[in-house]
Amino acid sequence: MHHEHFFSCPSVSDLIIFPVSIGLQFFVFSLFLKQGFGKDDHEKPYSGMSRIYGTTKKAGGKADMDFQSVQDVQEQLEAFSYIASKEISTVVFLAQATKKPILVEGPAGVGKTELAKSVAKCLGRDLIRMQCYEGLDESKALYEWEYAKQLLYTQMVKEKIHDVVSQSATLKEAVDQIAEHEDAFFSERFIQTRPLLTAIRSEEPVVLLIDEVDKSDPEFEAFLLELLSDFQVSIPEIGTIKAKTHPFVFLTSNNYRDMSDALKRRCIHLYIDYPAIETEVNIVKLKLPGMDENLLTKLVKMVARIRDLDLKKKPCISETLDWAKSLVILQIEDLSAEIVSETLNTICKHRSDYEVVRRNILKVVKD
Amino acid sequence: MVNLTLRFVACCRAADLRISTAEVLDCVSQLDLIQPLDEEEFKLVLRSNFAKSRREQSRFDQMYHLFFHEMQKDLSKVTHDPDSEQARSVIDMLRTEESDDALGKALTDFMDGDPMAFVEEVHRIHTQEEQEARALRSNMSQLASRLQVMLRINRMKNKVLNFQGGNHAVIDKDNARRIADSLNEKLDNALDLLNNEPQPDNYSLREIKHHDVKYNTIGEIPFASLSQEEIEEVRDVIWKLVKKLEEIATLRFSVSNRGVIDIKKTLRRSGKYLGVPMEIIFKDRPLRKGKIVALCDVSGSVWSTARFMLNILYSLQECFSKIKSYIFVSDLAEVTDFFRDNDVNEAIEKIMNDAPVNYYVPTDYGMAFQHFRNRHMQELDKKTTLLIIGDARSNHMNPQDLILKSMRERCKRVIWLNPEQEKFWGSGDSEMRTYKSHCHEVRPCGNLNQLIDFIEDLII
Repeated sequence: MHHEHFFSCPSVSDLIIFPVSIGLQFFVFSLFLKQGFGKDDHEKPYSGMSRIYGTTKKAGGKADMDFQSVQDVQEQLEAFSYIASKEISTVVFLAQATKKPILVEGPAGVGKTELAKSVAKCLGRDLIRMQCYEGLDESKALYEWEYAKQLLYTQMVKEKIHDVVSQSATLKEAVDQIAEHEDAFFSERFIQTRPLLTAIRSEEPVVLLIDEVDKSDPEFEAFLLELLSDFQVSIPEIGTIKAKTHPFVFLTSNNYRDMSDALKRRCIHLYIDYPAIETEVNIVKLKLPGMDENLLTKLVKMVARIRDLDLKKKPCISETLDWAKSLVILQIEDLSAEIVSETLNTICKHRSDYEVVRRNILKVVKD
Repeated sequence: MVNLTLRFVACCRAADLRISTAEVLDCVSQLDLIQPLDEEEFKLVLRSNFAKSRREQSRFDQMYHLFFHEMQKDLSKVTHDPDSEQARSVIDMLRTEESDDALGKALTDFMDGDPMAFVEEVHRIHTQEEQEARALRSNMSQLASRLQVMLRINRMKNKVLNFQGGNHAVIDKDNARRIADSLNEKLDNALDLLNNEPQPDNYSLREIKHHDVKYNTIGEIPFASLSQEEIEEVRDVIWKLVKKLEEIATLRFSVSNRGVIDIKKTLRRSGKYLGVPMEIIFKDRPLRKGKIVALCDVSGSVWSTARFMLNILYSLQECFSKIKSYIFVSDLAEVTDFFRDNDVNEAIEKIMNDAPVNYYVPTDYGMAFQHFRNRHMQELDKKTTLLIIGDARSNHMNPQDLILKSMRERCKRVIWLNPEQEKFWGSGDSEMRTYKSHCHEVRPCGNLNQLIDFIEDLII
């Protein structure tokens, strides 16, 4: 643990013994540069790894609104442009009513992340997102001590420290006296909260999205268990922090590796597949209201056929949308084999995929 | 409702779905929140609590259908149709005649609406392992048990037929036929359950079918038909590739995200500059390396691919925290030590010459997996990638794919490399289709280009 090094090194007493305060100032300054301390407060704690979304409060509504029934979930999600199947809305409703996390599984690009975002919008809660990757650890996910701030404060209260130790006769006594004030330097004031702690300490309930949890290490998965079952985390120097409000937790997985039974047991499971043709038509219609319906149906059917081909990466819903958008911009009214091959690069992201579709173009275009 | 759910859970558990008490509690409390008479919602609640991954859903659906549809007549005992009394008397008759052993009892229970014992029996048969015979190998033990159940079902059908043809004072012909039909239908269901083992939906399986053509001639020749000169050429290419990959891995290590500031060292260094911390030291975060366990089939043509694979893996040892390798034909042997004591190419020659396994027996994947599970299962953990190199041609022996499933559960990823091209998978005695449903990734790997593709994917 990094803070242990700070703790075990004679830092506080060192700083007093060090006569060169200029050096310390320079040190603190260089830390500012390295750690980006003093930047905009909103960006600081997440340093590019995760974001916090602004609250989308419902007009005239309370910040925290609950879903009343399965039907209600479906309608509210649709109002925020998310077309949810009965399965999705039932699971969301149950998870909210029983305060359990949802483990969402499914191929890439079927709207797993989008579901969490839409639920946050419906409930008028902030969304805190944490993207998992190999090597993600507690200091990136939970909290980190703010070394720079600790040093800066040490520097600023140096006079005070001097007062504390001035009466002591021996070095040992001085160290003892400083030790009594140790708590001042390891308090919540100096904790830099990362997404998980932010979600737990939030006064208002939030939606917490732990994205691509299958990419994280098994250690991190184990660490999540305490959070998901009791909504609390333990910080050695401070103790256990219990959640003030229950976050609505979504975990998403592409099944790169299988999740442990312990984690699965704590969640409600939801599998989202590629949408049926009518559902996908409705989704595109919702996002691109101006598009000609015949063309749209034809396009969605083609995408479904392309998904059946042997591709490295199957086109997902957002790619269907991109393709539809580009057709609207190009003012294309009918999809012939030539037009499909010309506009194919919006849905095929690999050269070999592009060639496979080109080779099977007649199969794809057939009515 | 609670009792019904509990009976269903017991039935699912008999079919090897792991359901904890906590999940049952969750489910029961959630059933209060929905309208349980809406079947879609009811099924969704059960499924989202009892099948916690897509892979388990097909098994769940089978059990749900069996329990709530095929058995439904018996669940709704309140509705009293005139046949049911008589049907009951037939079942009672069968019960007295057939319940002298566990199987007969399980089958009569199944007809009576309690499928649990029979589901358990079917699961036992599906997971039955072959005994290691000393003289003659066979795949008979599972087939024999299956046959026994099938014969028993036939015998019961005959009895039902006798009942239908017999003279009954109280039942007219139509009623007797109806009862016989419904009982026969139940027996057919039982047979279906035995014969149709649902395969898990392995939607996240990565199937690599294309490869980049990096080397035109040498890259496309199957490993098995390389001449001696070409083997040398392939070795050269592999050596160059290894150097390139090592460089990339080292570079990645040096620029990999640096850790937090090391205050201890920084303060110590500052001593040189009168306490001014001129040099700021960061803690290096060691690159996470994975462990590799490789199982190589060394029979016939597969060995030519396996040797190059082992060559590459051991040349790239630096990139992994540990490599363990095993070879098998039917029995399995560890060959890690050969590589520790010798140069890579020498080690490969030695393995061929001082074969630690018997080459002169038919390949048997099921038995090899069984050996691995019994002796080396502890090598698999959540950071291990399991590589299996083989054509999955198991001479029609029992594939024992459930052992592969349990291996999958213990490791991070299972990758199957098949030296045969994809169109031959599943033909003849190839069990590739069966094994595929338990792998994370399958790819053909029979020539240099495919091998390079795979290695780059693994390292970078």
